Amino acid sequence: MGVITKIVNWGRRKSPWVLHFNTGACNACDIEIIAGLTPTYDLERFGVLLKGTPRHADVLLCSGPVTRQIESRLKMIYEQMPEPKFVVAVGTCACTGGVFKGCYNVKAGINTVIPVSAYIPGCPASPKALIDGVTKLLNSLEESPKKK
Amino acid sequence: MLMPIFNILIFPGLLFLFFFSLAAEFFDRKLGARLQNRVGPPWFQPLADFIKLLGKEDIIPEEADNRVFKLMPVFALTSVSCAFFYIPLWGKNALYSFNGDVVVVLYLLTVPILTYFLGGWYSRSVFSMIGAVRSLTQLFAYEVPLFMTILAAALLADTWSLSKMAAFYSAHPGYWVFNILGFVIAQITLLGKLEKVPFDIPEAETEIVAGSFTEYSGRLLALFRLSINIEMVVGISLLAAVFMPWWLDAGPIAGFIIYVLKVAALISLVSLLRSLFARLRLDQMINLCWRVFAPLAFLQVIINLILKGALFK
Repeated sequence: MGVITKIVNWGRRKSPWVLHFNTGACNACDIEIIAGLTPTYDLERFGVLLKGTPRHADVLLCSGPVTRQIESRLKMIYEQMPEPKFVVAVGTCACTGGVFKGCYNVKAGINTVIPVSAYIPGCPASPKALIDGVTKLLNSLEESPKKK
Repeated sequence: MLMPIFNILIFPGLLFLFFFSLAAEFFDRKLGARLQNRVGPPWFQPLADFIKLLGKEDIIPEEADNRVFKLMPVFALTSVSCAFFYIPLWGKNALYSFNGDVVVVLYLLTVPILTYFLGGWYSRSVFSMIGAVRSLTQLFAYEVPLFMTILAAALLADTWSLSKMAAFYSAHPGYWVFNILGFVIAQITLLGKLEKVPFDIPEAETEIVAGSFTEYSGRLLALFRLSINIEMVVGISLLAAVFMPWWLDAGPIAGFIIYVLKVAALISLVSLLRSLFARLRLDQMINLCWRVFAPLAFLQVIINLILKGALFK
């Protein structure tokens, strides 16, 4: 790994900007994600900032099973993000579809639509689990830089 | 020959400005976090953000005007960096100065707002177009009181050159007291120029995503963020030079420390106001600027005119 790749990788690990997208969750995971950004947990100590636009984001935090209505929008938002990008599935529903699996209006987990880099289970996933998952994802960058 | 190149590229030019503005952003963010009872980002955070954005993909929307979209961040960065050379930082002399440079500096600080407008407008996204129009609307509100207060200070010093103003105010210690009203107005209206919280209407992320910068990504966004940071440093240095002309005879090293302290004090004022207030609506902001700040700035001009008549007969 060259020096420049190392420096850029360091930058990527230290400054993950997240975009929060509700793909059909019951709102519990969303509340927990927001709780992670509040002063109690303060994700900004790891450089995490919540961004409003997919163009600025590095990490897409998806919560909830993918409903058929939101599927095309999820794909569109994923495609709007600049490379390198990562998707984190927050909550059991986002990982596998959870209790909604098999419903007529729901596809299963996020990974049935777009590639997922990290899964954070829990119903809802607690902010601590979220921080743990995101830091694990970022540390995995150090070992094998994801190239595309 | 080598000295101007060194001055422009390294100190106190681009390289110094780059690190100084990143430090300023860190200071602002950390202080804001501490005021909200958070831990806040680590010291290298702005640098990491910058490097990460440099390493990201540049997406240019299909409908956007390719040339304008790419050029605007460069224009913004260039104009704010140029303005820095005309401001006396430590000591009474700026790197370059001529009679009339105070007007040039003020206009160079206006250019970035125009680039935000053009960049946002030519992105052809609904959010960025709304943000662009808002930033231009806001420009017409805060620009008048800001210009009037700074020009009022120049009026008292009877010169249009920032270096001569610094020389005048250090030759007449105590005269800065007359400009306190102007200082307060300039500090508040500067927040509008920097698009910081009470006046962050063009960037309002809860309403219009990220304003003009909605479609920007990667390197272009990095340049825009850097130019915003540099604009903060330059605007605050301008305020420090005009309204805080203290201890300018201290020599290079002590002068530099005093300059950094002045900038830090003004940035902490910015973060304090950012944590204290919520975002105003656009009409409230324009009302405030035109009905309160503009008459007060005019009052400052009148005060300085009367003082000038009374003091220098």
